[in-house]
Amino acid sequence: MKFYARRIGFYIITLWTTISLNFLLPRLMPGDPADIMIAKLQRNGGEISETTIRNIKLLLGSDESSMWEQYLGYWGRMLQGDLGISVTKYPTPVSELIGQALPWTIILVGVATVISFILGIALGAWAGWKRGTWVDHLIPATTILQSIPYFWLALVLVAVFAVGLGAFPIIGGYSVFDFPRGPEWTWAFFTDAVAHAFLPALTIVLSSVGGWLFGMRNMMVSTMAEDYVTTAEAKGLRPRRILTMYAARNAAIPSIAGFAITLGFVVAGSIVMEQVFTYPGIGKLMFQAVQNSDYALMQGVFLVITITVLAANFVMDLVYGYIDPRARHNV
Amino acid sequence: MIRNGKRRAAVTAIAGASVLALGLTACSGGGAEEGDGDGAASSLRVWAGSQTPITANFNPFAPTVLHGALGPILEPLFFFNKLADEPADGMIGESYEFNEDGTVITVKIKPDLTWSDGEPLTAEDVAFTFSYEGNNPEGQGLVSAEATDDTTVVLTYGSPQFTTEWQRMGGTWILPAHVWSEVDDFANFTNEEPVGSGAYVVDSVTSESYTLVANENFRDAADLGVKTVQYIAIDANQSAQDLLAAGELDWAGMFIPNPDSVTANGQVDWVNTPQDPTVLYTCSNAELGCTGEQTDVAVRQALNLAIDRETIKEKAFVGLTGDISPTYALLPRDEKWVADSANEVSPQTADAAAAGAILEAAGYTKDADGFYGKDGAPIELDLTSVDGWTDYNDAAKLIAEQAAAAGIKINASTVQWQEFSDSRQTGQYELIMGGMIGTTVADPFQIYRDWVGGTATQSTNPVGEEVPAGRWNFSRYDNPTVDAAIAAAEATDDEAAKMAAYTTIQTEIVRDLPYIPLVINATQTFYNTKDFTGWPTEEDLYAFPPSWGSVASGYILQQLKPVG
Repeated sequence: MKFYARRIGFYIITLWTTISLNFLLPRLMPGDPADIMIAKLQRNGGEISETTIRNIKLLLGSDESSMWEQYLGYWGRMLQGDLGISVTKYPTPVSELIGQALPWTIILVGVATVISFILGIALGAWAGWKRGTWVDHLIPATTILQSIPYFWLALVLVAVFAVGLGAFPIIGGYSVFDFPRGPEWTWAFFTDAVAHAFLPALTIVLSSVGGWLFGMRNMMVSTMAEDYVTTAEAKGLRPRRILTMYAARNAAIPSIAGFAITLGFVVAGSIVMEQVFTYPGIGKLMFQAVQNSDYALMQGVFLVITITVLAANFVMDLVYGYIDPRARHNV
Repeated sequence: MIRNGKRRAAVTAIAGASVLALGLTACSGGGAEEGDGDGAASSLRVWAGSQTPITANFNPFAPTVLHGALGPILEPLFFFNKLADEPADGMIGESYEFNEDGTVITVKIKPDLTWSDGEPLTAEDVAFTFSYEGNNPEGQGLVSAEATDDTTVVLTYGSPQFTTEWQRMGGTWILPAHVWSEVDDFANFTNEEPVGSGAYVVDSVTSESYTLVANENFRDAADLGVKTVQYIAIDANQSAQDLLAAGELDWAGMFIPNPDSVTANGQVDWVNTPQDPTVLYTCSNAELGCTGEQTDVAVRQALNLAIDRETIKEKAFVGLTGDISPTYALLPRDEKWVADSANEVSPQTADAAAAGAILEAAGYTKDADGFYGKDGAPIELDLTSVDGWTDYNDAAKLIAEQAAAAGIKINASTVQWQEFSDSRQTGQYELIMGGMIGTTVADPFQIYRDWVGGTATQSTNPVGEEVPAGRWNFSRYDNPTVDAAIAAAEATDDEAAKMAAYTTIQTEIVRDLPYIPLVINATQTFYNTKDFTGWPTEEDLYAFPPSWGSVASGYILQQLKPVG
């Protein structure tokens, strides 16, 4: 019990620190949202009259209250679930923007991460089992895929499969032309959304499977040298049973810890992928918020990410104690 | 037993994942096929630069207003074509005239107009608009706005309005008084269901796109060819380019260095309309606190001659830019305002010898390394450009090379946007690659007032202070002769008197070069000529073509006709 109490106390302090940092960091960044917006309009070739400038300053004028007052107000509003109002997407509440983007990100990046993990672990176990055979070639192949710059991989996939072959859509989470009124609960929409998710998911899987595979394969090789595997072999168990029940189960433990953290980061979305595919997700919100000094949006997105990562870690702490008893008892 | 239970769970999980994976692959084929073969759709698909997520905001006073509001839904009184020197075309307005001294504008509007909600649109609405808080009537010096009958409005100002003709007649969105009189806070109003006078009304808005449909109450509703316009949000230029090439996008205004890649499908055509000057900002005025050798006019003149504009155009701007005039006037549009025909185009090739002669005449001597200097200190200038604006970065490098060939040492470096913004605002720089805002009417006045007007014109401030809001004289140029000429031009509508003032201004700035002219930026527009006709073309540039152009985009939509 003491173990869990200590963990919970630790997480509360971490949460407070990160939320406070979250408040502080955007304010340390240079730039004034009003200036940035005016410059953006100018760069876009829009006509900016003195009236427009006056209106922008009126709307985005800097907050005059002291840092401490802002800090207290920030906590007060946050505890009420009010994350403020975005200036780049004025006047949409930040919570609404995040609420709209989150499902897309969680489903796409989440499913892709799970697929990538399962694929990596399965292939890694197999590659470790068959070490020294042709299967070893899997490793350099997947590592190359992983080391290719991510955005470039995405662009190549779009150029070949979407533009060249026309097999997949070029942008979006769904076809805005077929569904101009937005998402709907129909089978046609579902299949359309799945078709749109394929290439983005493929980029994520291709670029991350190598890491899982590599780690798992190496753990597998060292686990195979353990005495209990030799014992199992000596007992005459079927090789398949040794692979799955003895070697792979133990070899996967470190990967599972890494997987939990990765799952936590799923909500951060994938900035590059979302940008290349115009996919409606959290990563892009974060990107735009930083570009435009949109403090409220930045804080909101960081908050969601922080909380999820902490929660994932916490759950992992608890689960880890269960799957690996050594972590519970101080041996 | 425990062992068995766990195993079952693991198997289920793996089975589930593989079903999901299969599902992904199986469904994708069907979905993609449905999306294709939709080229000849009746709705026009536009990208005006919006990024996801889209937020419904049709309030013209909001900085985040959607493009569809400006022109297609709301309209000003008149349409001014910024590409030609021609009279304004009436939208809501029929005609307007100034009184003798330019302080009173009498506007006649078209009769029997209605708003999109069916209410009549009268002169009362126009008068309401001009005195509406959001249009800053006090700031503009409005004395009164009165509707004398149903179709006549008289606007009275405290000062001559000749030079703000476009802002008043072509840049003020006419609002329905019955809606906006009930809006308390004009800046925070989102106007999600806008009532307008334009050809379109809002049909639906989602995070990824918004759709406009024909307004039944529009004055020329019967002639409107395109009934549905869908504005979509795209995050990356590359995606927009891909969609154009795939024939899924009908209209976009964006930079594509190799336009052949999208026109190859035989459906898309493009037009280039250079508009905004690209220049070297120079902090030119030592009296207002500028430091560096560029404060010496001889150095600026020498640099101006040392630059090879042809090479810059070809190498940094892929040959798409226009040639600039040292008067900053846009040619051929503003031809009649250029006093000396020798000032129509800046020298396109470098003349290192002439540059050297200017420096030597000013007392500079060449040192052992071949660089000019005075009193043993060589000229050394820092030229910055914003990191990531690759065309500007390349141009800056070329300029540094070309200047070195003429014996002037320039160090080109890149800075973050914020640093660029701060340094030009406060005047703490030597040279910056920057842009100027081209004028919206065939008259360079606005550039003269906003960019070279001095402290007397309230267009600049000493180094260390920001330039006044809405003015852009980053060079700190402060010349009483120019200021007097600006004041003279502002107060008159007489072409000869204005020309005399411009002659003075041009003589001064062509000699002093507060901004060293480089090129006129390209503005590319891509449109679908297979399914729609009526676009502005090279032969008939009746309106500024990009999809993001306010007013002009609404005007163009009214001229389009679907094919077949």
